[in-house]
Amino acid sequence: MFCLFYLQAKEALENGEVPVGCLMVYRNEILGQGRNEVNETKNATRHAEMVAIDQVLKWCHEKGRDRKEVFEHTVLYVTVEPCIMCAAALRLLNIPLVVYGCQNERFGGCGSVLNISQDDLQHTGTPFQCLGGYRAEEAVELLKTFYKAENPNAPKSKARKKQ
Amino acid sequence: KQKTRVLSTFTWEVTPVLSDEKLCEVELLEAFAAPIINKKQTSCLIKQLTCLYPLNNLPHIKRVRNCRDKSDHPLEIIICLLQDIPNREVSLNDLFPEGKANGLGEPFRVRIPAYQPLTRSQFEVASQHWPTTFRENKQVTDALQGHLFNTEEKAKMQTFMEKAIEAATVGKKMGMEPVGAVIVNPATDEVVAVGHDCRNGPNPLLHAVMVCIDLVAFSQGGGAFNHNKYHNCCFKAVESFPGEHAINIGKPLLPSNDHSLRGNIVNGLPYICTGYDLYVSREPCVMCAMALVHSRIRRVFYATSFPDGALGTKYKIHTKKDLNHHYDVFKGLMKDECQFLLS
Ligand SMILES: [Zn+2]
Ligand SMILES: [Zn+2]
Repeated sequence: MFCLFYLQAKEALENGEVPVGCLMVYRNEILGQGRNEVNETKNATRHAEMVAIDQVLKWCHEKGRDRKEVFEHTVLYVTVEPCIMCAAALRLLNIPLVVYGCQNERFGGCGSVLNISQDDLQHTGTPFQCLGGYRAEEAVELLKTFYKAENPNAPKSKARKKQ
Repeated sequence: KQKTRVLSTFTWEVTPVLSDEKLCEVELLEAFAAPIINKKQTSCLIKQLTCLYPLNNLPHIKRVRNCRDKSDHPLEIIICLLQDIPNREVSLNDLFPEGKANGLGEPFRVRIPAYQPLTRSQFEVASQHWPTTFRENKQVTDALQGHLFNTEEKAKMQTFMEKAIEAATVGKKMGMEPVGAVIVNPATDEVVAVGHDCRNGPNPLLHAVMVCIDLVAFSQGGGAFNHNKYHNCCFKAVESFPGEHAINIGKPLLPSNDHSLRGNIVNGLPYICTGYDLYVSREPCVMCAMALVHSRIRRVFYATSFPDGALGTKYKIHTKKDLNHHYDVFKGLMKDECQFLLS
């Protein structure tokens, strides 16, 4: 079942998005699966985690479940270490555990650039545990494929142009 | 004659939120210097010392300084750092084992700046110890002295923050956190998006900044959330630009290695928040501050601080070197009004 989030990442790649995929699992039930949707939505905050969080919120709403209880028992599986923004979002929702593939050297919020998952932030939910290295090579390979396709000499905005 | 309506006085002042290295005290290193007794030997001494004691990590230090007040010797020269020699009490003979120090007087200890000054005030302190090079960023100097914005600009800034406060007030009445935000295109002074906090609605992550970022996406034909329920969360659709002009948005306070100064129009439309300014009543949290990095905002103005704030209080995400985009941050705009909003 946990291979699914790698399939999500591959789907992102096929759609010209940064290849990151994730699953949100609540008591052995998949409530959310997301991949990056930044280019499609023109919203740079639409990372896989944020997309999956929305699905869990929707599920809670439809089932009339208490979202606080649900998130407190939900594990996030994601191909790449959550970025600083997503790490803060996961804290705000009190998610207890994140299992990720490779580290996120550019934006990582669970130790790579900042340690949002563990820092003392009284007004930003609760700290969470992280387990890194789950099929890390596969995650790195996907990212490499993506960044290889981007021309490093072109302005970023041009490189991101969707054709 | 047409005269722009300008307010002459403001109850607030904006302060730039600069990186720690720009705000820190000048760090000093212990060194040996000596008077140059024979001025004709100066260039020879510089060559000799550069070879013997190169100050490789201190390219900002001027090796020789003028000392106008001391008539017996007009120049002084750095010999070496204290840490360069094992024995800390030394004479000329110890410093020049080959004994070629022609024209030098007795060495004495000085303290010299460890880094190149980044602001005028650091430069002034550093210069009291030993002369250094300094590449002044006029914008930073003006910002620190409170001269960066003229009256007309301040009046505009106040108008935008007033809009954010207005949105915050509406949100507060709906049971939300009293935070409002406005995203502006400074090239045209157009408000692109207005939003307020919506965290107590269906999505607890919809902080005012996240709402505005999504509204900007809507203005460009994208968007992810439904904001229809909230009448004070709205956007202005942008029109296609005829060519690929880059909007002239001035020089940033922080040198950025990204491409925010050019090519910010993609397929005839602006690219996410590139070139835009954000006005927000309260300092953004970590999530929102990083969302603004991803969105490539140009400048952020906020009123009041937040205990877990990521733009000055707990972190300075906008100055973090490892990140691929940086933006300028100013705090204090309409601080009292926004403080009142929160109480
Ligand atoms: Zn993220
Ligand atoms: Zn926030």
